Amino acid sequence: MRALLRAELLKQRSTRTGLGLFAAMLGLVLLAVLLHGFGLGAEDLGAPHVQLMVFGRGEFLGVLFAALLGAMTMTAEIRHGTIRPTFLVSPRRGRVVAAKALVSIVIGTGFGLVAGAVATAAGTAALRARGIDVQLDRGDYVLLVVGSAAAAALWAAIGVGVGALVRNQVPTLIGICAWLLFVEGLLAGDVAGGLGDVGRFLPGAAASAISGQDPGTLLAPAVGLVLLASYAAAAALAGVLTTSRRDVG
Amino acid sequence: MTLDDQARPMLTANAGTPDPVVTASSLTKHFGELVAVDDLTFSLEAGTVTGFLGPNGAGKTTTLRLLLGLAEPTAGEALVFGRRYRELDDPARRVGAVLESSDFHPGRTGRDHLCALALAAEIPWSRVEEVLALVEIEAVADRRVKTYSLGMRQRLGLAAALIGDPELLVLDEPANGLDPAGVHWLRRFLREFARQGRTVLVSSHMLAEAAQTVDQVVIIDRGRRVASGRLDELTERGQTLEEVFLGLTGGAS
Repeated sequence: MRALLRAELLKQRSTRTGLGLFAAMLGLVLLAVLLHGFGLGAEDLGAPHVQLMVFGRGEFLGVLFAALLGAMTMTAEIRHGTIRPTFLVSPRRGRVVAAKALVSIVIGTGFGLVAGAVATAAGTAALRARGIDVQLDRGDYVLLVVGSAAAAALWAAIGVGVGALVRNQVPTLIGICAWLLFVEGLLAGDVAGGLGDVGRFLPGAAASAISGQDPGTLLAPAVGLVLLASYAAAAALAGVLTTSRRDVG
Repeated sequence: MTLDDQARPMLTANAGTPDPVVTASSLTKHFGELVAVDDLTFSLEAGTVTGFLGPNGAGKTTTLRLLLGLAEPTAGEALVFGRRYRELDDPARRVGAVLESSDFHPGRTGRDHLCALALAAEIPWSRVEEVLALVEIEAVADRRVKTYSLGMRQRLGLAAALIGDPELLVLDEPANGLDPAGVHWLRRFLREFARQGRTVLVSSHMLAEAAQTVDQVVIIDRGRRVASGRLDELTERGQTLEEVFLGLTGGAS
């Protein structure tokens, strides 16, 4: 397994995909936080739940890009055909998928950590620049950054699982974006009132819960963590099992 | 169009070898209604270069995928060194294979491609330099694969297959896209590989080229074996391999 992990790490280092995703994430975090920080009215921004929401953009984008990165560890190999030499050298395919999940968790942790830290730092700077009091305490900050790292790590594993199940790169990436940007919002939002509070048990909402956002609606951070870890384990396991059973194209 | 005279002693020396390197027994693969491989049986002995011939869509690539554990047979079995490929302990050191000419990430360098495979197979990095030298692409090893010509990609694929210094080499249409010098180089390489007592299974539909490279052939059509045996025996009535092939696969006019 060590050999597979080292191979997967080298694959990540040896293309520009990871760096490109990281740069895009960083740019979007700054854009989102600064637009909110300077665009919203001073009264709105003074409220702690709004501050949590703005600073939480880091968690959201960290999760999104970690999931895309995790998915691409599978789908890029399928798209470029490197999956064939990979599985010829390592015919125990489930272990390859597991190695991809572990490496993605490590990189996803970094993505989430940076996204959470940059979002809180930029948000704090924006508030200070406008003379708005920051209503968040040290515990909130820790949760925003550490929670973002944990959420992104687990979503990276979900990405690997989804990539392994769907295989085709474009539908995989569109599916992940659509889910996080749109579908969860529909299911959890006002439109789907009939669904009750099922929305907070969805994986995107669980990720937000881990970083301490919207405590009135979402689950407690620890509960969110356990729930998201279960989603991640289920997705990765499904990827491992299907990949070891299905024919390779 | 007969055997390379270098190979003849090796073939004879291995004639009594009891354990075949590759065994396909009643190998069958269905894709829904389509029967891609139909009750195919053959075996290969060490030290031989076998041409795996058939028209497009005959089931050559599917058979190779079954042999290499990338697909599961519907019925029958394919064994390499007496075991299913996925149950080999150290597959890269036993078998090397190239199925597609461009199974590379375009943004990764040739060297990194090989290093990742070496890491996964726990093969020392010094071997990466060896195979780069062997296929003569050291000069482009640190360029991204997207800048490679098709010939360079073919050689990089071969380098990847050779990373574990395998005893069996499986190649699917390796001469596609090679220039005449490349084809000549590949032919000499495969002959030398077999002369060392190792085994080559090479699929092709380039019959003139195959006739100069292989000792024996397995010809399939619509998933079924239509002929197999030593090339010199198949062509002993003075026919060319092409004439034999077209006669067997219904392509003769």
